Amino acid sequence: MQQLTRLVQQHTAIPFPAHIFRLESGLTVIHQHIPATPVTVVDVWVRAGAAAEPDDWYGMAHFLEHMIFKGSKTVGPGVFDWVIENSGGMTNAATSHDYAHFFITTAAEYLPETLPYFAEILLHAQIPDDEFIREREVVLEEIRSCQDDPDWLGFQSLCETIYGDYTYGRSILGTEEQVRMRSPNQMRCFHRTHYQPENMTVVLVGGIEQEKALSLVSENFGNFEIRSECPPTRQKSKPILQKIQRTELRLPRLGHARLMMGWLGPGVAQLSEACCLDMLSVILASGRSSRLVRELREEKQLVLDIASEFSLQRDASLITITAWLEEGDLEQVEAIIRDRLQEIISEPITEAELQRTKRLLCNDYAFSTETPSQMAGLYGYYNTISAAELSVSYPQRIQQIQGFDLQRVAAKYLSPEKYAVTVMLGL
Amino acid sequence: MQTVQRTTLSNGITVLTVENRATDIIAARLFFRAGGRWEPLEKSGMSHLLAVLLTKGTHTLNSAEIAEKVESIGASLGADASTDYFVMSLKTVTADFGEILDLAAEILRSPSFPPNEFELEQHLTLQSIHSQKERPFNLAFQQLRSAMYPNHPYGVSILGTEETVTQLTPADLHQYHQTYFRPDNLVVSLSGCIDHEQAINLIEQTLGDWPAPSHPLPTLELPPLSSHPQTDKLPQESQQSIIMLGYLGPSVYKREDYATLKLLNTYLGNGLSSRLFVELREKRGLAYDVSAFYPTRLEPSQFVVYMGTAPDNTPVAIAGLEQEVKLLWEAPLAEEELQSAKNKLLGQYALGKQTNAEIAQILGWYETISVGIEFDDDFQAVVQQITPQQAQNVAQRYLSTDPYISLVGPAQALELAS
Repeated sequence: MQQLTRLVQQHTAIPFPAHIFRLESGLTVIHQHIPATPVTVVDVWVRAGAAAEPDDWYGMAHFLEHMIFKGSKTVGPGVFDWVIENSGGMTNAATSHDYAHFFITTAAEYLPETLPYFAEILLHAQIPDDEFIREREVVLEEIRSCQDDPDWLGFQSLCETIYGDYTYGRSILGTEEQVRMRSPNQMRCFHRTHYQPENMTVVLVGGIEQEKALSLVSENFGNFEIRSECPPTRQKSKPILQKIQRTELRLPRLGHARLMMGWLGPGVAQLSEACCLDMLSVILASGRSSRLVRELREEKQLVLDIASEFSLQRDASLITITAWLEEGDLEQVEAIIRDRLQEIISEPITEAELQRTKRLLCNDYAFSTETPSQMAGLYGYYNTISAAELSVSYPQRIQQIQGFDLQRVAAKYLSPEKYAVTVMLGL
Repeated sequence: MQTVQRTTLSNGITVLTVENRATDIIAARLFFRAGGRWEPLEKSGMSHLLAVLLTKGTHTLNSAEIAEKVESIGASLGADASTDYFVMSLKTVTADFGEILDLAAEILRSPSFPPNEFELEQHLTLQSIHSQKERPFNLAFQQLRSAMYPNHPYGVSILGTEETVTQLTPADLHQYHQTYFRPDNLVVSLSGCIDHEQAINLIEQTLGDWPAPSHPLPTLELPPLSSHPQTDKLPQESQQSIIMLGYLGPSVYKREDYATLKLLNTYLGNGLSSRLFVELREKRGLAYDVSAFYPTRLEPSQFVVYMGTAPDNTPVAIAGLEQEVKLLWEAPLAEEELQSAKNKLLGQYALGKQTNAEIAQILGWYETISVGIEFDDDFQAVVQQITPQQAQNVAQRYLSTDPYISLVGPAQALELAS
């Protein structure tokens, strides 16, 4: 085990319950033993999301996620899926802007048998031409099915409006035309550039002991492909919203209109501010006693529903407010939301509301860290965009927030005069 | 699974507990034998509306006060109606459990259905029904369901229809509540950081003095179902066609047939190594979403295979799905294929019982539908015993008829499908 360096834990007040190791190759391994569960999750995170795509290689990161399952020279298409599911396990994957991740959930006893297959397909994706062409049809069907989903279309449009040509404005799936322009050669190059140890985190959580976990990872995640180099990704400057940027979509079959408003948040480097925005989104529109739900759904009955979401991203987070409503009420509702934002900026939040929201968020955190897969996902995500240890600092950061912090962060990020808005209407 | 303890209180409430000290959380499910199945057809949607309105007023608390009580301590509490059960779900950190259980008890025992809240939620439900039409999948499923279950509650969405929901009144909800919400029709199932005795004490304190009425619960008569396959087409301006094939299948009470069809459904449509996924997606690139489902039901269920595909593929997709179902009853599966499907079904079954909420849900539900908590083990044992011959027999019994076919997609594509 001499090739392992146990990293010194960073100076966070909350002890990190898992252990972080860096292998000689540069691969990060995070392990947490949970003796009570027979389940083990292996979640592999790669800094190879859509943000890593060369400028014109739209849809590449996501398409590659599909092609990983087509196997390597020694593991044929579908073999890995069969091996995992035949031993009662599950596997899947997801791609976003900052990451692609692949996970298996299985009984710990099967890991020595299944992990070699998992490592093999991730590290040595073969991307055969004929499979590439076949799988392209599947990706195109995925794009078509998203285009029949109005909420996906609306969110896509809002992201484009808010981020412009900044990387987070790209469609992760790409369009049909863009996907048809990708080639197997490009994809092999993208894989060999990014699926390298320093870009990857292997998280193991569950019924497996540390020594066993580390030796399994060392044995199987040792041999990476020879590096390639993709064309460069142009660094674009972060967008700044100078005014209200409006987009309108007209769609068939739309049952009712949507108002989707979005603001740019800080990146993970300003995690405390991001936590304030998370809290503001709950105060505004999460739960029946939140401000906008109470006023617009329960009292004035101007919306069918309204919700706010905060998504933490590496470079620029996103906070959205979405309302489902009658077309005729669009303007009025948008104006009320603007007023409420002004209020949150200019009037101090009450102690009761502050405490209530803190309790809600801290309990939510407890509720969403119950299973090995939830924990593995949390550690892997934070390690991919920043550092795993930060993930457990969340409750403490929330507890430290004061009313004036929220006012200051609202004033900085949630301007009632500068935001992106997508309105969706029927044909 | 951890040990389950079961007690029946003197007023008829069944209590199930699983003590799980892994986290500082308690999840509870309070099940009533009520839901869509118990609704007269002309009152479809009643259970859903009741579920929404329960948390919007009691004799002592209004809607905002209830929300405040729950949200101020960061708990979750919600009611949900399904075709075969009605459930209230709670989740709290351990210290707050008693307080939220008190609130849940008050809500379940004395809801007030305030008229203004009724109007609001009725209106919002009508809007939700309307918005179901936004997604081709929902349209296709509704079309299939109404063809397979004519004059039957399973033929209608749990939301009800525009016609029925418009007609509902607070008096309907009162009557429905009076009839089915009684302690001898209640199962309380909980999992988390609490032992059986503590749980019983808390439930006795909040629900122990709820008297069971002396009159029996009404009996339910549903029309018999028989298979009359038909093809329905609904033209839509969409990017994909949705193709669904449906077969009437057994209820959960035909234990062996049920377990066998669950196994066949897993073989056919569950996961990345399933037959439909491999043949129609991996090898032929016809779909992103191609799958099968066979829900566990008290009444005859439905075995459904479906996919979304480019409009031009519509006829090929129908033929492909039919062919895969046909292979199940034409010849027996190989022993290894069946074993692999068993491993997958039982493995995923075990993975579905990880959180406290999942454990409380599955046990409470088994108790509610009267198969009992033993079903958790029985089901797994029955699956292990299934032979290729038995699987083929069951496939012949249920899947060798023509299917109900539901198609949604561009008009031109639907015409291609004869």
